[in-house]
Amino acid sequence: MTSASDTPTHVITLTVNGETRTLCCADRQLLVEVIRDGLGLKGTHVGCLSGDCGACTVEMDGKIIKSCLVLAVGADGSSMTTIEGLGTPDALSDLQQAFWDADGFQCGFCLPGHLFAARDLLAGNPDPSEAEIRDAIAGNLCRCTGYQRIVTAIADAARRARGHAGKAEERA
Amino acid sequence: MRPLHYHAPGSAEQACALLAEHDGAAVLGGGTMLLPALRRGERSLRHVIDLRHSGLSGVSCGPRGLVRVGAMTTYAELARSPLSGRAAALTITARAVTGGAQLRNQATIGGSACHANPASDMPGCLVGAGARVVIQGLAGEGVVTEEEFFTGAFRTILGHAEVVTGFLVPADQARVGYYKLKLAEGSWPIATATAVLGPAGTDMAATVALGGVAAQPVRIDVSRAVTEDGVVEPTFTELIRSAVAEPWTDELAPGSYRRQVSPVVARRAVKNAIGVRP
Repeated sequence: MTSASDTPTHVITLTVNGETRTLCCADRQLLVEVIRDGLGLKGTHVGCLSGDCGACTVEMDGKIIKSCLVLAVGADGSSMTTIEGLGTPDALSDLQQAFWDADGFQCGFCLPGHLFAARDLLAGNPDPSEAEIRDAIAGNLCRCTGYQRIVTAIADAARRARGHAGKAEERA
Repeated sequence: MRPLHYHAPGSAEQACALLAEHDGAAVLGGGTMLLPALRRGERSLRHVIDLRHSGLSGVSCGPRGLVRVGAMTTYAELARSPLSGRAAALTITARAVTGGAQLRNQATIGGSACHANPASDMPGCLVGAGARVVIQGLAGEGVVTEEEFFTGAFRTILGHAEVVTGFLVPADQARVGYYKLKLAEGSWPIATATAVLGPAGTDMAATVALGGVAAQPVRIDVSRAVTEDGVVEPTFTELIRSAVAEPWTDELAPGSYRRQVSPVVARRAVKNAIGVRP
């Protein structure tokens, strides 16, 4: 399909956070651009646009991916979860709560990507070592925390999921 | 900005036909190299041919006991495959690729081979594994060795309207070792080595393939310098260093450094391979 401005376009259908969305996108558009500008889901961030920083990480068809490395048209028919699908400000997911309690972020720009990387790790490994946690977030850059509090948050989230008290409860 | 047309052919044959039909077309594999380059304006394309629906992913049993790895197989798919142990060199390397689970879910074996970045994990590994490359063209399918495939830095033997459909990997390499030198977690490797050892014995065959140290991977027969106890010096170092006659220089390291570290990286790969029980 070609639009009036001669920009090649396609109509694509995505299932995003359980909702089916159909929209028109330019063939050149990246998935991250369509998530943010076409779907209005601004929680997925644009960082490096080179696949290095991980701020644009989402889950697509059950796998975490960097959405700056996918053409939106190529994602046609796929099912996605973005950060808006993980929790809400009033109802944080357990993982988000662990990040909140451990001060696992400062500016928050990298946070959605780190949450997806951590979620992916914990889905397959309920009791990760520190080395495994650090390896799991190797594709996500943070320029505030020095990573230590992120590692603490993920370890704490794993502990909670295994039925132990989290750091916040222990303090209380 | 020039208009970009997206195509998603249903087969490799259709991809070749599209490449022949359109000037200014490029093949899209995992997207990890082409899309950032397109975004930065380093590549100017009119057409992108996406192979994601061309049926080129997956690991299967190939002819003559070989393992066939589809070009669009991602590193994560390879590592998860029930046949991963039979393509051991590729699997060990795929698991070691940097960039997080996201990159391993997206980057493809074929994409890495076709990009032919000297400072990359997979080209050296494919040469080390003795893999053959299956190429689809307009006239049909052909097979070349990996050493024939890589013709220089960022250059391959691929011609106009040809695509890589997969790799045929020897499945009997029980003892393989991989080592890479890099100076930061997210960095491309400065030097890589894939060691493949034959069955233990007085005539043990041993090869090392180096990546990152020259414009294209270098495969070296080190059988006379490797025993079950490790490498035999100074023969091993001499063999490795003499094979790196024209070392590769980029922003990560000068060629002189790469040549200097080559024997160390190769030795560590051999040590890793010796540690693998057949």
